[in-house]
Amino acid sequence: MVACESDDAVNRKILIVEDDPSTSAYLAKGLAEAGHAVEACADGRDGLFLASEGIFDLIIADRMLPGLDGLAMVSAIRAAGIATPVLILSALAAVDHRVDGLKAGADDYLCKPFSFAELSARVEALVRRSDRAASEPQKTRLSVGDLEIDLLARAVSRGGRAIPLGAREFNLLEFLARHAGQVVTRTMMLEKIWNYHFDPGSNVVDVHIGRLRRKLEDGFPTPILHTVRGAGYRLAVEG
Amino acid sequence: MIRLSVTARIALLSIALALVSNLALVGFVWKTTSADAIDAIHLETTEQSESLRAVWRSGGLPALRQAIDNTVVPGDVSLVLAVIDGHGRTVAGIAPARLAVPLKATQFRIARLGRDELWSARESGYALHPIGPDWLLTGRNLDLIASEERAIERALAVAVLLSLGLGVLGGLVLARYVGRRLDAIASVIETAGEGDLSRRVILVTDGSDAFDRLAARLNIMLGKLEGVMAELRIVTDSLAHDLRSPLARLRTKTEQAVLIADSDAREAALGGLLVETDLVMRMLTMVIEISRSGSVSRDRFIQVSPADLLEEIGELYAPVAEDAGLTFTVAIDDRPPAMALHRELISQAITNLIDNALRHGARGGEVTLRLVHRSDGIAIQVEDRGPGIAEADRAQALKRFGRLDSARSTPGAGLGMALIEAVARLHDGRFELADNAPGLVARIVLPA
Repeated sequence: MVACESDDAVNRKILIVEDDPSTSAYLAKGLAEAGHAVEACADGRDGLFLASEGIFDLIIADRMLPGLDGLAMVSAIRAAGIATPVLILSALAAVDHRVDGLKAGADDYLCKPFSFAELSARVEALVRRSDRAASEPQKTRLSVGDLEIDLLARAVSRGGRAIPLGAREFNLLEFLARHAGQVVTRTMMLEKIWNYHFDPGSNVVDVHIGRLRRKLEDGFPTPILHTVRGAGYRLAVEG
Repeated sequence: MIRLSVTARIALLSIALALVSNLALVGFVWKTTSADAIDAIHLETTEQSESLRAVWRSGGLPALRQAIDNTVVPGDVSLVLAVIDGHGRTVAGIAPARLAVPLKATQFRIARLGRDELWSARESGYALHPIGPDWLLTGRNLDLIASEERAIERALAVAVLLSLGLGVLGGLVLARYVGRRLDAIASVIETAGEGDLSRRVILVTDGSDAFDRLAARLNIMLGKLEGVMAELRIVTDSLAHDLRSPLARLRTKTEQAVLIADSDAREAALGGLLVETDLVMRMLTMVIEISRSGSVSRDRFIQVSPADLLEEIGELYAPVAEDAGLTFTVAIDDRPPAMALHRELISQAITNLIDNALRHGARGGEVTLRLVHRSDGIAIQVEDRGPGIAEADRAQALKRFGRLDSARSTPGAGLGMALIEAVARLHDGRFELADNAPGLVARIVLPA
């Protein structure tokens, strides 16, 4: 699974709807380097037109667009029955703006200015989520290398040895394991595990990851929870 | 149409009102006086006629003549009193030589009695009654009444003139008074428009008249505006101040990174740049939340159990505090019912409180996140055992959003306090500091 990761990323078709040419070019370049096929347009109406073909794996849309507002476009796409994941990019950074975006049918919301690492991690998470939904409807066990996670019994073991985890630690590990091999950022964890859409400032996530890592790695020869500098963390057999 | 000034219109209105009320009064007097005079003549005439007829019945014509002579007082020019023969000629007494009115029994009537120069010029009220073959004429000329009426009319004219004068005077006084009161309010508005929000309208009657009520409202509005402007200035200052240090560090680190030849070391240096950039971005996001918190609508609020909220945040922060070597306790005295809160903003405010305690109160070795259930609401407080803030400095700390000089070295601390303050206000609550003896209690008080 981890070995075929790079192949996995190829041939994603991503639609960028962004009216700022420099942001659009920056996104297109970065995503193309990550192995995706990118199409870009600068207008909400064109975006809706292209999206309605249903051929994309992901849509990245700016919120404030000429022609048709980004949120209106997402609502229209959803109303047309197209389930393509949508990531909203917006300069509107307040908590309530984010809530509005998610209510309109977007799957994720990222504020400008953003780091490409953050965007990239979220893009991977979104495209794979739709894959998983298609191929593995209901999993009861997750495994990463010698790490086994029983989702029903909420039990974790590594190399046959049981690792006791707290409820929140288990949620954290489950989230990392569901995105095994991918980078998971601090804000993604804050959003998904703690449901906070703001940056608490302190290194709260790092502290929780540090504790989890000690439990997962102490007494084992190989690391499994890796730090990706400038981006976040990754649960994988290899660094 | 000519547009009159408010002052002129008020003056005109006052003149018109004075005129109308005076005219109504004088007119009424005039009307009743005239009616009363005629009534008096009617009565007198009837009485005289009856008493003289009684004289005629008892003593005949000679007695009547005698009575008429007795009744006529020299100088009484308005009296009409005579015996008239069957052809309308005056036999005795005062009357026109030949009567112009028909000879028939008349109770009371107003008419011209004669055709000659003297009698045709004036009207008389009279009564005519038969006495044998002759007639008894009694009555009174209306000359006197007419002159009384003329006197009243003259008074009327004077009254009109007087009311005109008084109206003008009253109007001017009134207009001047209103103008002065309005000018006082207008000048404050004008200076506010020019940017000076510190002036207030001085109340004349302590708020009991309409102008003072208007002025009081205006003063309240200006007060709020001034407060908001002051906050804005502080946030802006604070922002500019707080942004300077990370940007300066960013600049220095960039300069250094450019010079590093070793690629690994350069990458590490660039990583440091990202951290500084994130700090700046975080501060900007906080500024946005602060500025937006004034206009967040209530439909963003959801029912949240404050105890659950605090437990969640405590769970998030406990490892952080423990790693920093602190004892971290979540103390929930009582579990108040769920209340409408902006979950994200209130959480952010609480994490800011904890952050502050971890930064400034770490020396004390323990931090407590406490929920207090009061009769009038709840208090969410973070207690530390650090150096605290001296009582004298607390007001200043809150006023300037906690930007004490000792806290200046910590980037974003001022903004963090500003956000707490703004979030507390959004929930109709307040943010306060208290003594933990030793240490600081930072408290968000929310009404139930």
